[in-house]
Amino acid sequence: MKSNLRNFLALLLVLFALPSLAQTSKIEFTEYKLDNGLHVILQPDNTTPNVIVSIMYHVGSKNELAHRTGFAHFFEHLMFEGTENIPRGMFSRHVEEAGGTLNAFTSNDVTYYYVMLPSNQLELGLWLESERLMHARVDSIGIATQKGVVTEEMKQTRDNRPYGRLLVETVNRAFTEHTYRWDVLGADEHIRNAEDHEFREFHDMFYVPNNAVLVISGDIDVEETKPLVEKYFAEITPGTMNIRRPLPNEPRRTEEVRDTVYDNVQLPLILQAYHIPGRGDDDYFAMEMLGSLLSQGQSSRLYRSLVDEKRLALQVAAQPLSLEHPGLTLILAIPQVGVDPKVLEDAINEELEKARTELISERELEKLKNQFENRIVNSNTTIASRAQNLAMSHTYFNNASLVNSTLEKYLSVSREDILNVAQEYLREDNRVVLYFMPKSQMN
Amino acid sequence: MKKIFLFLFAGILLTFSLSAQLDRSQPPKPGPAPVVNIGDYNMFTLSNGLKVIVVENHKTPVISWQLSLDIDPVMEGDAKGYVDMAGQLMRSGTKNRTKQEIDEEIDFIGASLSTYSTGIYASSLTRHKDKLLDLMSDVLLNPVFPQDELEKMVEQSISALAANENDANFMVDNLITSVVYGEEHPYGEVVTKEKLENITRDHVANYYNTYFKPNTAYLVIVGDITTKEAKELTKKYFKNWEKGDVPKATYANPQAPAENTVAFANRDGAVQSVLAVSYPIEMQPGDPDAIKASVMNSVLGGGVFSGRLMQNLREDKAYTYGARSSLSSDKVVGRFTARTEVGNNVTDSALVEILYELDRMVNEPVDSESLELVKNFMNGSFARSLESPRTIANFALNIERYNLPKDYYKTYLERLAAVTTEDVTAMAKKYIKPENAWILVAGNKGEVSPKLARFSAANEVLFFDPYGRKVESSGAVIPEGMTAEKVVEGYIKAIGGADKLKSVTDQKMKMSTEMQGMTIEMESVQKAPDKVLITVSMGGNVMQKQVFDGERGMATAMGQKTELEGKQLDEMRLQAKMFPELDYANGEYQLELLEVEDLGGQPAYKLQVTNPSGTSVTEFYDVASSLKVRTITTQETQMGPMTVSASYDDYRDVEGVKIPFALKQQTGPQTMDMKVVSVELNSGVSDDVFKVE
Repeated sequence: MKSNLRNFLALLLVLFALPSLAQTSKIEFTEYKLDNGLHVILQPDNTTPNVIVSIMYHVGSKNELAHRTGFAHFFEHLMFEGTENIPRGMFSRHVEEAGGTLNAFTSNDVTYYYVMLPSNQLELGLWLESERLMHARVDSIGIATQKGVVTEEMKQTRDNRPYGRLLVETVNRAFTEHTYRWDVLGADEHIRNAEDHEFREFHDMFYVPNNAVLVISGDIDVEETKPLVEKYFAEITPGTMNIRRPLPNEPRRTEEVRDTVYDNVQLPLILQAYHIPGRGDDDYFAMEMLGSLLSQGQSSRLYRSLVDEKRLALQVAAQPLSLEHPGLTLILAIPQVGVDPKVLEDAINEELEKARTELISERELEKLKNQFENRIVNSNTTIASRAQNLAMSHTYFNNASLVNSTLEKYLSVSREDILNVAQEYLREDNRVVLYFMPKSQMN
Repeated sequence: MKKIFLFLFAGILLTFSLSAQLDRSQPPKPGPAPVVNIGDYNMFTLSNGLKVIVVENHKTPVISWQLSLDIDPVMEGDAKGYVDMAGQLMRSGTKNRTKQEIDEEIDFIGASLSTYSTGIYASSLTRHKDKLLDLMSDVLLNPVFPQDELEKMVEQSISALAANENDANFMVDNLITSVVYGEEHPYGEVVTKEKLENITRDHVANYYNTYFKPNTAYLVIVGDITTKEAKELTKKYFKNWEKGDVPKATYANPQAPAENTVAFANRDGAVQSVLAVSYPIEMQPGDPDAIKASVMNSVLGGGVFSGRLMQNLREDKAYTYGARSSLSSDKVVGRFTARTEVGNNVTDSALVEILYELDRMVNEPVDSESLELVKNFMNGSFARSLESPRTIANFALNIERYNLPKDYYKTYLERLAAVTTEDVTAMAKKYIKPENAWILVAGNKGEVSPKLARFSAANEVLFFDPYGRKVESSGAVIPEGMTAEKVVEGYIKAIGGADKLKSVTDQKMKMSTEMQGMTIEMESVQKAPDKVLITVSMGGNVMQKQVFDGERGMATAMGQKTELEGKQLDEMRLQAKMFPELDYANGEYQLELLEVEDLGGQPAYKLQVTNPSGTSVTEFYDVASSLKVRTITTQETQMGPMTVSASYDDYRDVEGVKIPFALKQQTGPQTMDMKVVSVELNSGVSDDVFKVE
């Protein structure tokens, strides 16, 4: 169970990764736009002979239609099916033969693809990603194949895995209007019933250079790379459709939602989800620090009280979901065997009340700042993390340079700011509370 | 005019020549292979013998400190587990600080610090290095091993064992430990509850006092620090660490078995087996064979993409989701293991294929395409690993510890590129032993083990418990002439006799249980021959309902109604019978008397009962009383197979019929105790009760 919660949180952190977190030494990069709208960021780092070629498309599950959820994630799969010049199955094979690795992920807000290669294979990476952007294969065979794969994935990662349903059960109660109300995987029926032309329309709307940023980080020479980017990407035509983007239209919550979910888990889990602003908002930084106050490290409020002292919880975590539009912060706890979940929840609520009514100490504030500085510095040590952070900064805020200035924002949060966000957002009438209980009890 | 024309013409030519350069139909060729730079390290030794290695890296303002003891493994005996605990407990309190103070000070500087039996790892931003070293040295030099923290840790470890006990991978891991290495070797000791309970504070403190000495330790410092500064700081914080003699130990290395031997750990109700083929090998880190052997292992069953094991067992035969092999080097003794998880009915076939692939590895040269793919993969992997300063630190440590040539890692890629097909075959001949292997299986003894005897040269399977301890194949002997049918007859007689049971036309039963502080009530109403209504309520609210009216069945949960169909409906029909055991002998059920098993001191007949719809249940009938005392079912849930064990106790007479009043249901670590509150027989139940709508 511990490893499941850990895996779940690790998954959360990947899907909702912190964008553009600055290191105290600046990240150097060059950026420009091609005529077709493709934004390009080149970040040289000649320390090791590796390069990452990545593209982030500004499309996620929140861009989907309510009766056709799961499309953004579906495309993450479809984009490996090959292109007009790359036969089925060969896309990954080219990367493996070159000694590289590749992967992708989809979130509520973005879809991100990357290829890691030895640096003398930069052109291979450019060819692969430009091929996909230019003329990915969106045909019946590929669609049919991936429908099966995606259904399997839904079963394995969400429906069959312990706590796999946490997110979907949370968001569909927490959101009533906004397109965050369904999860990234979406509904199986929507994918199965969708017709080929619907997938093509989705592709033509979102998979266009003017909706994308290309980030290349690693052992490159900027002046040599620019003509190569031009060679592979300049001829790709921009999209012509109006890109569908939802508004942050979730109405303010006025009362608590409380529910019990029976699931294939062995130990119960308590979840509280509070509505919080999106990451561009000033309050977001204080909110993140509040999360740390509650659960980062063994001296944190929830860990010390619930795990160490009162021995009520096996594990506890507080994590804001890092979303473009107003999202949620989650508090999760698994009770020790034999502990009544209600007792554990009462203890959690007691700690939250403290955070709402008392200013944290100066020492605690300094601790939080140190923790964040450490986190931010370490989040930019690999070319993969830098590429992702640059891509996210550009996609969310149209400003990649924020990678170099976010630390200041965290360091300028005050004790009052943290008290304010606790009072504003950690309110009973602003939350969803779910108890995940073992189905086996209901035999 | 001409000029413009020429200009346009040149423009067109230029456009043509540009697109002529880009042929999208082919992947572009790579540039020249990049040069791999592996930084150097500096080393110095303190007067107390501590060897310090410094890898400077000023890219980010972070420094990590890795302390490693270079000691021989320790035989722990009947308190196995104390070595690991000693390591972890160092952080739980020192002469100067309580655990909470340590936690708070580490968190305050945003650092990480962890302790373990062979060292300490700490990391922080450069500007906190003094504080970090202050904490690290305190934890290193002054641990007090608080009694209450030790007890907490023992308790947690025992819970963890109990939770894992029924896990097939846990069982195979323990088989690998005890069978491949043997109990006489420190690598062959398995942690059990009894051993954990023997751990005292003395064990833990003595371990620390004996082995944590600077003269057999390395400190590897990586990051934003100069060698000069490293010297100053290490002297300041570690000079008081006193050197001393550290006991050395050598052990007779375990050998691969003279012939293949099958070792089996039983999992009641298992529908899958975890299967490993393993044996010890001699290969130390830095062995000249290391790279070639690694390539060979990748071809067989390692790496990200499919090796021969995957191609065979997964792609070709679809026996499994994953089949892999590992060939690991070790200072003391290395090991080869091929491992997979497969269904019961293909366990023997999977084993055939594994042995076939091992054999093929020895006898059939690898084709050049596969070899290139493996080498490219390992090349890329190596290059990517260089991004992490920890990798460089480990390189330095290995060179020093194992006396490797200073350029061992710098020449790694060259040596990798030079590996040939002949090299791979030579490595296979040396390290792949399809005829001297331990075949280790955790699975369903009744269904699977009989088919595995033939893989053992001695034509017999050795049995083990979940902790790798040998058990004799069964306790008591099945009495002469005893059959499954007779066991069931004995049970029917014991609970009232066939006539009495048939005279029960309806039954109402109320049960209750406590779960996580909530009371759950269950009520079942049955009417002969096969109508049933079951309701489950919590706090007066009906949460779940199941009803079967003889033909149709419906399940209601949280307001959702589902009509039962197919297999579910058939199961419902069978379970709706008042006393299904009365039908066991009707020819539609399959019964098998497996053995007599010891259940907590009481022998019980173990039966495999397969009902007409194909579902198998393992049933235990107490030998002395003939009563049914336990059933084990494996349910196919969306999450995969889940084993549910139900125990029946406190049989009481109700109008001539014996009914168990205490039921205990266990699924993994979750136990539910149910008590029967009331039973009514033949009270007159209307058919309306079972209306399906």
